Amino acid sequence: MTAIVECRGVTKHYRLGTIDVAALRGVDLTIDKGDFASLAGPSGSGKTTLLNAIGGLDRPTKGSIKIEGHEITALNANALADLRLRKIGFVFQAYNLIPVLSAVENVEFILQLMGVEAAARRARAKEVLRDVGLEGLENRRPARLSGGQQQRVAVARALASKPAIVLADEPTANLDTKTAEDLIALMSGLNDRLGTTFLMATHDARVISRTRRHIVISDGGITSDERRKLAEAEPA
Amino acid sequence: MMSRLRLLLPLAWRNLWRNPRRTVITILVVGVGLWSILSFAVLLEAWSRSSRDTTLKLTTGQIEIHAQGYLDDPTVAHRMAPPSGDLEQLLKSSEFQTFASRVRVGAIVQSEYKTLPVTLIGASPDAERKVSVIPSQVRDGRYLSGADDTGIVLGRNLVRRLKTRVGKRVVLMVQAADGHLAERAFEVVGVFAAPEQTENEFAFAGIKTVQTLTGIADGISEVVAYSGSDDALPELVARLRKAAPGLDIQSWATIAPLEYAVSTLFNQFILMWLWTMFALMAIGIVNTQLMAVFERTREFGLLQALGMRPRLVLFEVALESTLLIGVGVALGVVLALLSVQAFPNGLDLGFLGRGAEMVGAGHILYLHVNPADFALYSLLVWVMSVLATLWPARRASKVSPVEAMARAAI
Repeated sequence: MTAIVECRGVTKHYRLGTIDVAALRGVDLTIDKGDFASLAGPSGSGKTTLLNAIGGLDRPTKGSIKIEGHEITALNANALADLRLRKIGFVFQAYNLIPVLSAVENVEFILQLMGVEAAARRARAKEVLRDVGLEGLENRRPARLSGGQQQRVAVARALASKPAIVLADEPTANLDTKTAEDLIALMSGLNDRLGTTFLMATHDARVISRTRRHIVISDGGITSDERRKLAEAEPA
Repeated sequence: MMSRLRLLLPLAWRNLWRNPRRTVITILVVGVGLWSILSFAVLLEAWSRSSRDTTLKLTTGQIEIHAQGYLDDPTVAHRMAPPSGDLEQLLKSSEFQTFASRVRVGAIVQSEYKTLPVTLIGASPDAERKVSVIPSQVRDGRYLSGADDTGIVLGRNLVRRLKTRVGKRVVLMVQAADGHLAERAFEVVGVFAAPEQTENEFAFAGIKTVQTLTGIADGISEVVAYSGSDDALPELVARLRKAAPGLDIQSWATIAPLEYAVSTLFNQFILMWLWTMFALMAIGIVNTQLMAVFERTREFGLLQALGMRPRLVLFEVALESTLLIGVGVALGVVLALLSVQAFPNGLDLGFLGRGAEMVGAGHILYLHVNPADFALYSLLVWVMSVLATLWPARRASKVSPVEAMARAAI
């Protein structure tokens, strides 16, 4: 298997006033191409910190992170921005769409930043919106979309650049049960059909049960990493 | 660059209208602030020009030429010949807008009720109209009709004190060139309005009539000349002195030092006051912009998280505030132009009565737009306000996306 993400000895310390807080304590983790993985753990266990470090949103205090074989911990702010643009797709808990842009413009925005030509980016944006089931809603602004629809736009935006990996931080936390299940099914289907690699920080049992790989983090360290077939992972 | 603009321009413009109240408030702060600065600049400039004209365009010229000794002893004994040769050539050159010759002599005016001291000015009406506002300030009767007019024009207050009126006669007594007291009856043909002191002090008659009365043939007491701006005065005075070495040639800075000092100080005061206003307004705008940018730190974090380079985030913020402040600046300029247009015939200070005179201004302030001032103030407001947004935006773009996004929600 090809490794998309390789973390070695990743450590992250925060200073909270005068207190030093260790959020990650030497994490070793490899995410392979095509993985559909959940990263679970109690609040404060380091899920989001690890996700942010992998996504180049935050720098680890120590250790090495490679994306598709390239070390990212030494990159400057511009290079990290380029990495996020081209290699990483993000899905945030709070959707974080750009409120003044329509659904299709939100998706296109990433492609515009990449310098994709107008006709090609409009076609690609419509294609990914169709992939996430939002055909017909392309021109709506976020305020006129439901929470579930907004999160689908966020997924479409994350997929637009054909990234190496999509990192999702509690993607279902703001959604009702039905919408959350639809979203999980959507991401799972995208993983199946397109081979997109997903790593999701979550403590939602519904998400965990649908992932083929289940990683548990506790007190800043990986405590279990289990691969399984989906049939075994159906909800109890 | 163009592709960046195409990417960011719609985003910037739509962002402005995402929070219409904030946008409208900022536009109003900039627009009304700039309007007040531009309007006050126009008003104060008109006031300054009016007070300078009040001094220079009554009886004092920008440059005065006398015979040596006249300023210490202003009698016909210290008279001079009318300008000729190099002096006349220079006064008629394009360096000067206009000049006028006068006889100016101390006199006693007598009505049937009262005798008062005045300064009698023998004037050539055509030339006088170009150097003085008094010919246009005749409120009753008429101004002098020619150099040999035998009528006299008196100030409104003097007429009141003498208990005379247009059509009646007064007697003037002056010291003639040969030393005897010459006297002559004049018919009051006109009454002029001016600052009270001027109304009391001056009486105008035809220059030839006064020359005959004083027995000085074609002799004159002074030449007053205008060149326009004060900047070239020292140089012009020097050239005139060279052209007429035997004459006493002074600028108004020497002849009317108090008025000159007040005018100069007033101009400095205007400038200081405008800059103070400008600074206060700038602080207001900067504060509004700082708040607006700081509260959007999270949004800038998101843009960076999505892969926008920090420099591009900065560019986006600059573009937004360029558009926002640009609309405010345009509003301010339009309001200021409309305000000036509202007074095509000048701003009448008649309601201030004599009060305006006391602080040196004329009755009507003629408002005039100085395009260079408008451009300078508008551009400064624009550039400063945009720069003010760059500082918090730069700080926001330096924060890691995680920290930025941890701030308050969009």
